[in-house]
Amino acid sequence: MKLRKNFLIILILTLCLLLSAGTALAQPVTVTFWHAMSGSRLGIVESIIESFNATHPEFEVKPLFTGTYAETLTKYVAAYPSKTGPNIVQVYEVGTQTMIDSEAIIPVYQIPGMLGETWDWAQYVIPITNYYSVDGNLWSMPFNSSTAMLYYNKDLFEAAGLDPNKPPTTWKEMEEYGEILMASGLVDHAYSTGWPDWIFEQALAIHDHLYADNDNGRSGLATKVVFNDDFGRMIFETWTRLHDKGIYIFGGAEYSANSAFNAGQIAMFIQSTSSLAGIIKAAQFKVGTSFYPRFDGYPVGNSIIGGGSLWVTKGQNKEELRGVWEFFKYIGQTDIAIEWHKGTGYFPASGAALKDLLDEGWFSADQAYLTAFLQILSGRRDTAASTGVRLGPFVAMREVFVSSLEKSLSGQLSPKDALNEAEQKMNLLLKDYLELYGK
Amino acid sequence: MHEDKFPGHKFLPYLLIAPSIAVIFIFLIGPFGKSIYESFFVSTPFGTRTIYVGLRNYIRLFSSPDYLNSAVVTFKFAAFVIIIGLSVSLAIAQLLNQKIRGVGFYQVALIWTYAISPTVAGVIWASMFAPATGLIPYIVSMLSGGYKMNWMTNGQLALFIVSAAATWKMLGYNIIFFLAGLQNVPGEFLEAAQIDGASPWKAFWRITFPMLSPTTSFLLFVNMLYAFFQVFGLIDIMTHGGPGNATELLVYKLYRDGFIHLNTGFASAQSFVIFFVISTVAIIQLRIVTRKAIYFR
Repeated sequence: MKLRKNFLIILILTLCLLLSAGTALAQPVTVTFWHAMSGSRLGIVESIIESFNATHPEFEVKPLFTGTYAETLTKYVAAYPSKTGPNIVQVYEVGTQTMIDSEAIIPVYQIPGMLGETWDWAQYVIPITNYYSVDGNLWSMPFNSSTAMLYYNKDLFEAAGLDPNKPPTTWKEMEEYGEILMASGLVDHAYSTGWPDWIFEQALAIHDHLYADNDNGRSGLATKVVFNDDFGRMIFETWTRLHDKGIYIFGGAEYSANSAFNAGQIAMFIQSTSSLAGIIKAAQFKVGTSFYPRFDGYPVGNSIIGGGSLWVTKGQNKEELRGVWEFFKYIGQTDIAIEWHKGTGYFPASGAALKDLLDEGWFSADQAYLTAFLQILSGRRDTAASTGVRLGPFVAMREVFVSSLEKSLSGQLSPKDALNEAEQKMNLLLKDYLELYGK
Repeated sequence: MHEDKFPGHKFLPYLLIAPSIAVIFIFLIGPFGKSIYESFFVSTPFGTRTIYVGLRNYIRLFSSPDYLNSAVVTFKFAAFVIIIGLSVSLAIAQLLNQKIRGVGFYQVALIWTYAISPTVAGVIWASMFAPATGLIPYIVSMLSGGYKMNWMTNGQLALFIVSAAATWKMLGYNIIFFLAGLQNVPGEFLEAAQIDGASPWKAFWRITFPMLSPTTSFLLFVNMLYAFFQVFGLIDIMTHGGPGNATELLVYKLYRDGFIHLNTGFASAQSFVIFFVISTVAIIQLRIVTRKAIYFR
């Protein structure tokens, strides 16, 4: 008995010694990273971080999956006052203004200067960095950026007598094709979408139409929304009409409609480009992709960026900050950006990565991957409307939008009344935000 | 009296209950006080700026059609879960209390809904009713000759499905308690009634049902708490409160306002209102129930 006790003590002592020796030897600087990447994306995030840690022994990035985007932001907000937050946090694009106003972060463009370096930001894909920039300066590191595009089922197109290489380019064609597909009896509904709120924002941006005043909230805090006009109503009425005809089936939020498209129950689908890898993998048919459909005769804008970016917490020491910065440089590296793109469908952030992908024939092997780039690079970039929307209470406003759209689709309200309701509620949210943050 | 139990240690009893009191204060009363305090302010998510607004959060709450809608939805939902849920479980428990072959199997099969996590239950129900891929819309469309059932655009239907899912989820729990209650009803009473020529129907309502009243009142209470507070997971998985706020229960609205929209003041005001309503209902219910239930004990 006594022997065993002694043995135990010795064991513990040895362990302590070993552990302290270990820390004395290496002592990498820990950089914590909270993210919201679930599913197949989680594995890719972790493998990128593993390779970073292996190649940078002086730093150790510790990733932590903190739930959905909304949950991650909530946790970050809760952790910040007690200084238990991470060095890096991933925030979705709708949280951008919240982070800018948070007084809790270091704008990314200042970091190289703080570490005595200079950095050329033009090496990243411009429409992406534009979205996360304030007055031309980048505030957060682009990480997972996507946009919306049209997916269609080439097999169903062919079976319905449509040309599988001529996807619809306008909403009028969406309706015509929808009717043909419905008449063929192959599908009960022809079209659906994920993220209805974001798809609406895309519809405005693609026609260079503002969502809110003060340049979509980019030149100053927005005071009211400006989409409730003839154009906004036309979008709403088109969607409601398509729904009434049975062409459009409302698919719910985020990615819940993907299964219907993957199962061949709808033939046309507007969704985030980040779903591409997943859809190609799941679909038993030939997947076509094309640009977001337009309304004829309206100005040209651009599709806008969605997804998330990485924000850096204020108040870290210089070593931690150096770790953060090395990590950011690493994920922008060509090979890593390519790994990220291929695994997920998100944009690779740098122009060099784009060139390498082109050179190796990635886009000619599967042209579907090219659509997103051509769409975003062929649109205009010089207006606020085509750059994207930045609003303080954006999360709540999007919910207001979805619930108004749902009311319009279900016939509870006319498209006009539904849009009026959305406008009124959103303006109140903007007013409250101004009250808190206005000068 | 405590001096007798702890001679010479006047403060010992207080010391001994101090840990539990501390826990109650730290985890219940403290946060509750803080949320009442915060309900008079609006503040930025990171707490960098705070503005005192008096009763504005409450005034907004009661003048908001969305909040009133949410209250109506919650009461409809609770009524469904409590009335339908308890009736169905009592009926099933009564059936399970018969001497039939394989009763053990049925008992387990009917009780295990309670063991399923809300997330799993939500996913099961949501995929069963998925508009384009679900089994039920498919069957409905086959039987009705093409009617397209879409709960994602039909608020009433969505509320019905969510209520049914919540009821189903609670069925197992209710059945266990009803079954236990039924097994405690002395057989002699029922035999005596039978000899006196009472029909089984009459015997049930005159003997079994009154003798079950302690169980029923307990379940009434538990189901009310369940319907008001514990269905968050189901709603979050199935509908996110939609379509068009049709399934936005009070707790879900509170969660969205507080944790997604990061509007703590408004959410705090809501939590106080819910607390007030629930405690009033609970007190009334307990009063009535204890009076009645004791009578039969």
